[in-house]
Amino acid sequence: MKQIIELSVNGESSEFAVEPQETLLEALRDRMGLTGTKEGCGTGECGSCTVLIGGKPILSCLTLAVECHKRDIVTIEGIGDGNDLSPVQQAFVDCGAIQCGFCTSGMVLSSEVLLKENPNPQEKDIYKALEGNLCRCTGYNKIIEAVHKASEQMVTEQE
Amino acid sequence: MRLPKFEHVQPSSREEASRLLQEHGSRARLVSGGTDLYPRMKYGLTRPDVLISLKGLPATPPTVDPNGDLHVDALMTLADLARSQTVLEKTPLLSEAALSVASNQIRHMGTLGGNLCQENRCPYYNQTHTFQFVEPCFKRNGDQCYLIPKGKKCWAVFSSDTAPALISLGASATILAPKERRQLPLENLYTGDPLKPLTISDGEVLTEIIIPCPLSLRGTAFMKFTLRGGMEYAALSVAVVLDMENDGVLCRAARITVGSVGAGPIRAGKGENAMAGQRLSKNLFQEVAQLVVSETHPFPHHGYSAAYLRACLEVETRRAFSLAAEQITRNPGDPG
Repeated sequence: MKQIIELSVNGESSEFAVEPQETLLEALRDRMGLTGTKEGCGTGECGSCTVLIGGKPILSCLTLAVECHKRDIVTIEGIGDGNDLSPVQQAFVDCGAIQCGFCTSGMVLSSEVLLKENPNPQEKDIYKALEGNLCRCTGYNKIIEAVHKASEQMVTEQE
Repeated sequence: MRLPKFEHVQPSSREEASRLLQEHGSRARLVSGGTDLYPRMKYGLTRPDVLISLKGLPATPPTVDPNGDLHVDALMTLADLARSQTVLEKTPLLSEAALSVASNQIRHMGTLGGNLCQENRCPYYNQTHTFQFVEPCFKRNGDQCYLIPKGKKCWAVFSSDTAPALISLGASATILAPKERRQLPLENLYTGDPLKPLTISDGEVLTEIIIPCPLSLRGTAFMKFTLRGGMEYAALSVAVVLDMENDGVLCRAARITVGSVGAGPIRAGKGENAMAGQRLSKNLFQEVAQLVVSETHPFPHHGYSAAYLRACLEVETRRAFSLAAEQITRNPGDPG
């Protein structure tokens, strides 16, 4: 039986009638057209479907849309403001931390959460925060470099 | 990948969840984080008609009762558990085990109760079987095992990381049934049968874990052995708790639990007995580690051979003892 839910995505609310088995990922991509969130494995292994709910990174492929009623959701489209990139996104571009780009939205969101909680992370903290995001182009070194760069830049900006 | 159809029910309390579970019987499954159940539903391994979701229910933060025991809500997410200051102060072993589970995202979704009640896994079973035209395995109600050729039983392993840690800490679980609330030692939650890993039945909900925290001198260590070091089920895990006499030299009692190498977590009783009353030393660690290996009989799983796991288990157990002993010498006055 369909249920009516209100999703607040990137600050904008909208209502949908969804089946219980519909995942948040399907609602975001198919109903709202927010295709920045990617489906990789669909079973929680790759992290490319990462979105933030209440500021915490979760996997939208394993979250039911009906359970996100009135929750604050941030997707990759909500990072930066459309024209300007966020420091993390800019660092990814500058360091060439993107190859095919499929994992990038998840990587950026995981890094955003890490830098918010720990503005000056050690290498092992970055490994731990990004362990759930797989990059099959194997560009991990540049991604780690990008997170370091973003962290330095954010610290300098604050000073 | 899409989920099959089901009816979604959100009870307003655990008591209601228990009542609903009993009402629907085997048609229903309890779910909170869903990180173990949803992938299996997507693969078509299980098809519950009704899902009773505990996701909307708030988790009570960990509390310490007047006896000094730590009470942890089963609905607490692993990320909150790993970060909780109360847990870190009382039992750093549990924080460490919670932090070693899967990835950051999964720790934010998955709950302690879900981690303890997860299904056994094997590389053959945990995949989609849509285009396979062979007879099903034991776990899919067949009569053979594809992991061990001509295997006469199921070889799926129980991969929880928090279970060995909690069993070594002597934790007990509170189970809520429709008419009563009962407690059992956590190790009695596991049957050792890969086809039905848990002893809890329909209508029962795991609600709370109680961890005794004695004030005696104690050293703990948790080792998780994996190939990649992140986002992985353990090849094997060992949790060691050494309770010392007040002099800090003799070991009063030891608890050793090995995870991920059997159909449930395995207590190494002989090793524990050999440790009790002894003075800690490298030779003792070596002897006990060999004893632990000889009595656990690791299942070969996920590409790891039994011989390889035996060798790794000996090393990891020895390392765990050394770490626990180091903790004791570092904090002689600290009960943690």
